[in-house]
Amino acid sequence: MADEVQEMEMTLLNKYGMHVRPAGLFAKIASRHSSAITVIKDGNSVSGKSIMALLTLEAVCGSVLKVRAEGPDAEAALQDLAALVERKFDLPDEQ
Amino acid sequence: MVDDGTTAVPTTVKKFYEAGRRRLSLTLVAGESGLDRQIREPAINRPGLALAGFYRYFPAKRIQLVGHAESAYILSLPEDVRRSRIAKLFETRVPCVVYCRRRQPDADVRALAEKYSVPLLRTQMITGPFANAATILMDELTAPRVRVHATMMEVAGMGILIEGVPGIGKSETALGLIKRGYALVADDCTELRRSGDGSLVASAVPLTRFFMEMRGLGIIHVPSIFGAASVRGEKQVDLVVTLKRQADCADEIDRTGENVQYRTFLGVDIPQVVVPVAPGRDLVNFVETVAQEFCLRRSGQIAHVELDERIKRRNVQLVAAKR
Repeated sequence: MADEVQEMEMTLLNKYGMHVRPAGLFAKIASRHSSAITVIKDGNSVSGKSIMALLTLEAVCGSVLKVRAEGPDAEAALQDLAALVERKFDLPDEQ
Repeated sequence: MVDDGTTAVPTTVKKFYEAGRRRLSLTLVAGESGLDRQIREPAINRPGLALAGFYRYFPAKRIQLVGHAESAYILSLPEDVRRSRIAKLFETRVPCVVYCRRRQPDADVRALAEKYSVPLLRTQMITGPFANAATILMDELTAPRVRVHATMMEVAGMGILIEGVPGIGKSETALGLIKRGYALVADDCTELRRSGDGSLVASAVPLTRFFMEMRGLGIIHVPSIFGAASVRGEKQVDLVVTLKRQADCADEIDRTGENVQYRTFLGVDIPQVVVPVAPGRDLVNFVETVAQEFCLRRSGQIAHVELDERIKRRNVQLVAAKR
């Protein structure tokens, strides 16, 4: 079965943007899927499974991230990640 | 035009000024409105010919430097000629003009800078050293850059870029090497820039510099735990070590050392070693040995070639002896 590539745009809605906790949660969820996850912002593309790499994007509240998933569970991966971002990473002081 | 990452990236006078404030002891004298001007060429120009009225081949896209000779020439001119010559220089819309050796540009020049929105800067440095240092700074500011998913280390004096999919063990290998006394440049996200001399230099993204994620432990600050010598600001990339799961490697592993592969970043070819990762395999020892071996190869000693020569000589002798 050919690996499918799917892309989705996600906008950060939480107050402090992509800081350590959201990066950790994002990477954790991304790592649960076998698909390769890439997050793109301002021409920089990093692995969505790496906390340190996600932090280098310097994404703030309002930043639009392009998330690409490549693999058998690409669609599920994007859905999970989009839901997390939409829930503002479930962080109490950033709702 | 093909973008292979080798062309210089334009920068702005503002970036040059901010980077050069301390490094080149720059101050802004006039023309603040022009700080957003782009500088498209990294070289520095001394506009002697232009000030003398010769504008053919005048590099108007470069930073212009007014030093001792230029100043003296300008002062030697009659006042009306002086004004028109300097005005012409600003008219060509050069990105900015720097006065060296603490020479204070006079009111006329400052007025022209404001009129044409060309920033006028001043440095305490002497012209010669300033030109050298400014060229180096401009090379850094205009260098093509790319960020890669890899960990960068200095091992046995060699710059090693460790690549591999998330979770394969880049950070763990880096930690083992740090404990051996080697230095970390960047964890997981390394910024590469192509230098003017064609080499590839790696550094960390400033925001997360020297922090590393260890799965199970979390984020650590390497120099705080291991000391100042455990990290390094930047390092030229000499070798790429690609970690691959044993299952994904099959044919790629070089058994003899003959087939050196290369990875290309920003148009620069770097030798590459593909390393199979499997439980029980000691990556730290291996990467250290790889670094040491490549260090040796640089000085001309290549193990597989030497062994091969030795065997060929001996085999020829054995055949001759049998006759």
